[in-house]
Amino acid sequence: MTDGPLIVQSDKSLLLEVDHEQAAECRKAIAPFAELERSPEHIHTYRLTPLGLWNARAAGHDAEEVVDTLLTYSRYPVPHALLVDVAETMARYGRLRLEKHPVHGLVLASNDRPVLEEVLRAKRIAGMLGSRLDDDTVAVHPSERGNLKQALLKLGWPAEDYAGYVDGEAHPIDLAEDGWGLRDYQREAAESFWHGGSGVVVLPCGAGKTIVGAAAMAHARATTLILVTNTVSARQWKDELVKRTSLTEDEIGEYSGTVKEIRPVTIATYQVITTKRKGVYPHLELFDARDWGLIVYDEVHLLPAPIFRMTADLQARRRIGLTATLVREDGREGDVFSLIGPKRYDAPWKDIEAQGWIAPADCVEVRVSLPDHSRMVYATAEAEERYRLAACTPEKVGVVRDLVARHAGQPTLVIGQYLEQLEELAEKLDAPVITGQTPVKERQRLFDGFRSGEIGLLVVSKVANFSIDLPSAEVAIQVSGSFGSRQEEAQRLGRLLRPGDPGPDGERKVAHFYTIVARDTVDAEFAQNRQRFLAEQGYAYRIVDAGDVRDLQA
Amino acid sequence: MAVGDGPRGHRSLADQLRSWDDERLQQLLTLRPDLATPTPHDFGQLASRAAVRSSIARALDDLTRGELLVLDALVVAGQTTEDGLVAIVRAEPAFVRAALVRLVDLALAWTSPEGLRALTAVSEALTGGPDVGLSALRPRSAEHRDTTGPDDLAAVTAVLDVLPEPARKLIEHVVDQGGTATSGSARIGLRPEDAETPAELLLAHRLLVPGGSLNPGLLLVPGEVGLALRGGRTTSRAIDELPPVASEPRSPRLSASAAAGAATDVVRRVETLLDTWGERPAGNLRTTGLGVRDLKATATLLGVGEAEAALVVEVAAAAGLVGTRADADGNPVWVPTDEFDRWRDLGTAARWTTLAHAWLESARLPSLVGERGPDQRPWNALSPELAAPGMPEAKRMALEVMADLPEGHGLAAGTGLPSLLARVAWLRPRRPRTRGDLVAWAVAEAAVLGITGADVLSAHGRALIEGEDAAAVLAAALPPPVDHVLLQADLTAVAPGPLEPDLARRLQQVADIESHGGATVYRFTQASVRRALDSGWTAAELHAFVLACSRTPVPQPLTYLIDDVERAFGTVRVGMASSFVRSEDAAALAALENDGRAEGLGLQRIAPTVLVSPVPIDLLLPRLRELGLAPVVEGPDGVVRVGGSEPLRARSDRSRGSATPARAAARRSAQVAVAVGALREGDAEARERPATASAPGGAVLSALREAVERHSAVLIGFTDHQGVLNEREVLPLEVEGGRLVARDRDAALDDPDAERRYAVHRISRVTPL
Repeated sequence: MTDGPLIVQSDKSLLLEVDHEQAAECRKAIAPFAELERSPEHIHTYRLTPLGLWNARAAGHDAEEVVDTLLTYSRYPVPHALLVDVAETMARYGRLRLEKHPVHGLVLASNDRPVLEEVLRAKRIAGMLGSRLDDDTVAVHPSERGNLKQALLKLGWPAEDYAGYVDGEAHPIDLAEDGWGLRDYQREAAESFWHGGSGVVVLPCGAGKTIVGAAAMAHARATTLILVTNTVSARQWKDELVKRTSLTEDEIGEYSGTVKEIRPVTIATYQVITTKRKGVYPHLELFDARDWGLIVYDEVHLLPAPIFRMTADLQARRRIGLTATLVREDGREGDVFSLIGPKRYDAPWKDIEAQGWIAPADCVEVRVSLPDHSRMVYATAEAEERYRLAACTPEKVGVVRDLVARHAGQPTLVIGQYLEQLEELAEKLDAPVITGQTPVKERQRLFDGFRSGEIGLLVVSKVANFSIDLPSAEVAIQVSGSFGSRQEEAQRLGRLLRPGDPGPDGERKVAHFYTIVARDTVDAEFAQNRQRFLAEQGYAYRIVDAGDVRDLQA
Repeated sequence: MAVGDGPRGHRSLADQLRSWDDERLQQLLTLRPDLATPTPHDFGQLASRAAVRSSIARALDDLTRGELLVLDALVVAGQTTEDGLVAIVRAEPAFVRAALVRLVDLALAWTSPEGLRALTAVSEALTGGPDVGLSALRPRSAEHRDTTGPDDLAAVTAVLDVLPEPARKLIEHVVDQGGTATSGSARIGLRPEDAETPAELLLAHRLLVPGGSLNPGLLLVPGEVGLALRGGRTTSRAIDELPPVASEPRSPRLSASAAAGAATDVVRRVETLLDTWGERPAGNLRTTGLGVRDLKATATLLGVGEAEAALVVEVAAAAGLVGTRADADGNPVWVPTDEFDRWRDLGTAARWTTLAHAWLESARLPSLVGERGPDQRPWNALSPELAAPGMPEAKRMALEVMADLPEGHGLAAGTGLPSLLARVAWLRPRRPRTRGDLVAWAVAEAAVLGITGADVLSAHGRALIEGEDAAAVLAAALPPPVDHVLLQADLTAVAPGPLEPDLARRLQQVADIESHGGATVYRFTQASVRRALDSGWTAAELHAFVLACSRTPVPQPLTYLIDDVERAFGTVRVGMASSFVRSEDAAALAALENDGRAEGLGLQRIAPTVLVSPVPIDLLLPRLRELGLAPVVEGPDGVVRVGGSEPLRARSDRSRGSATPARAAARRSAQVAVAVGALREGDAEARERPATASAPGGAVLSALREAVERHSAVLIGFTDHQGVLNEREVLPLEVEGGRLVARDRDAALDDPDAERRYAVHRISRVTPL
């Protein structure tokens, strides 16, 4: 028995003791095949999943290596069944290969005939295959490359894709590293993506995912299609690319509801691509508009289902997904794996925070009590109304006011879900409000004002959840959210994590993240779910009663 | 002398046994326990019992294939010396001598004045093919009894050597096919020159002999012919070669860690299972054990497959930790026994040892669970018939074979198990066909239990089968228990190792277990804290407890959680009452509550306008009326019920209707008829029995059996069918199933092979000649 930092549990979770002297070494060793599930202060939990293990196989690690790593770092006996399971799971990857065939184009080949026979008999993939070329080879319709990979993954026999990529139309792109440089983790992320061919890079909000995208483009040096969540984010991508690369504004096109430009580098929103008219997607042509060499998926955890379907047809093009967390609330992580590609890079938030690239945050949950009359209204309300009633209680207004006063002079965001609540708050706080109804121009103006410091307090709806770069924000007060979404929590916290400039004494910015919830209601239950997510990311949080806000220690 | 007997031999097996020392006799009675129950009166009876075919068959079951073949050779030889036996067995002499010692120790063979002999019934009990240790040769003919080696077979060999090719082929074929043939149209009794077919030629040379009057048409190959064909040995292959077990070296760390890990897991799973059954028992299907649904639930609970869950359940039951009782509805359910409470207080290693011992001794077949039985119904765990008597032996043999593997070696992947099965089949060839399954299951189950790890017998597993202190060995391999947890802001507490049992139990009361293994992850939730408060903890105690057992500062959210749950705890009160009294007139209720005459009603005010009472409504109502109130009854929906109550009725007694005098009389007469019938049958039997018959004493049987073994003639006195007492001089051949088979000296003049049967109970005395 060694005194290793790792404890292997029989439910396939791995517990890593972070204060152990071998912890960093062990983390590096297990990262290729285990998914980081939680990273609270003392013990981080990784999990062995088939996807993770196949990921590792895709990246060139074999079962022996995995087993050896587990045995090397494990403090206690490792359950034998688990080792057997690891070996068996990993052995399933690559039994089937997608290959290029000089005559038949794309083929599915195997040197394990029973496996091939088994999948050939599966109903799920019946329509995707062509004729049987010989005992070990079946032709595949080139258009089914993605769907087949997806289906094979569901059957538990993931195929290794050797069919390669088209280069796409060449276009010179270089990073313009003037006055800034790629951070180490950004460089590693871009390189491991490039060597892997396609895949997903997981980095916390504020860690500069756009730059990783730009670095990937500089590797590809080809025409690029960038898919983003919304228009504001599209603009930010454009600005960032102009600033960080040799690309000029003329080379970058925007393809959205209002503008439809197709340029060597085109940024499109998910919304416009998934717009459906008369049963068809009219903007699908975008994918064929040019011979794209690279496709970038921003916020890949939000990728809508139709884009998955379209992505299935694009398997010959290199794809990079960018996200803060691979957790999808809809459980389609397997589709991300098979269609975009395996995870190529991952780093715990706290590590990057320790390197100073993202700001530390102080998270506080403030609980308000509903007054008796509201409690009665709440108790008798319909189930679907309850969250809104609890989340929008006027009691929260006072707390928000206290908190805003407390952090006077620090750029503050008040974030909420319900328009009437936001408007009421904006009125009482005398602050501008941005919602989905605010015109893009007005939004842009307000965001610019906030960034420059003219505006110190903004009330925003969920439009600010994603990809809005507000580096100056230091305080966020969350009054309501989309139920228990952990995604949203991550995004909102992410707004605060851009590291500000060090203060006069070199002290670093500490972000403050407040969540105001109504006690004893579903609001508090949802908050618990979200708080748990924060705690699992390693952010300690406190819970205080509304009455104690004034005594709060900074 | 190796067989440990005097050079001149013994007059009878009984004499030989009499000459043994106590130790050797004890060994015999230990190896063949059926000889000792009931305690035999004398050596004659002991020898007589040892010669019974069923007892011999049981003893043969414990022989290896090599030992069986030595015994078989002894039967072929008929009667020989130790050296003579060594000469005809194809094996190392030392192996043959060792096997012979064991055969004599088991009283399967003995030394008569004429030479070594197998007991007569041995040859009948030796059934089956070469797989179970048979040469398929017949005993030698009497004239070849003294031949001791290839040289003495010269005459037979000479004849064989000059046989024409077809005849040679034929005789070889017959020998290989078991040594018997049918005569068909071949003529018997010709001289070699007159033979026309190969079969006739073989008959003429007495290489084939007729089977005698009992088996007309059957031809036999005398043993010496088979021996000659096989170069003077009973088999053409050496019999002392053990099938090798395929093994390969394993990393000692990997195998030790796998075994210790599995051992910890199984202990934890049994505990988890029974903790759960203690609260929510599993249904006990009276005839079919644990239902499929309950097994599925168990598998989910334990996070394992159903096969493994069945094993956990069965092992827990085998260790006496699972019992059955009636639940609140009177249905039988599976629950932990009080033994479980004792077991739970032991350390992990001691708990494992209890389970492993129980498994080793258990005849249960958990690996069959989920398979379908002969009636197409699936086997359920804990169903009574799910057992095979051979299972404990299969387990022990499998583990002992694994114990013999070279140090640090485990069963080879792929080929290991089949070769282990072959080895076990060599060691106990007479086991039924299903034994292969039993052994394979035993190997698989041993891995789950952590007796083996990575197909290597663990140190604690070795201690277990060798009867040493397995708990101490395992304890040394297990990590030491820890006495603290690490509390984290996500409301989890991680115990970075096995917790001390007491701490683990208390922690389990206040937090839910989220992950098991080397460490344990607990999570505090509102529900778990509430559960703790329910079971009598106070918030202050909880705070103190988490502070005391944590190595890290208690996170603020946990402190807040405990206080928050405590705040809401007990705000809703529940109590028992049979009826309530409600009135808008609070003053009237107050008056009623304080009325001395209402004291017996146990009225209690729970709100200004509500009184409750433990008295049922039909008693309360008249009492309230007596007190001068005018109450009305309110239904569950709050609506007032008026109108009279239904008149009272009692249930009629159903049994009264059936007890009419006529029926009772019929039942009595039927009972009498049965009794009379039984009387008449018994009477008829008694009259059939001849008046002079005396019960066959143990002495008659012993004397007959002794004569069988000694091949010596006796004078028997018996009562024939007419009830006349007769005397006969006979050569007893066999005593089995209450009958004596013997050759009658007088009748032998007509037919030397004539055999007669005598009912042993009619034989009244036996006099040796």
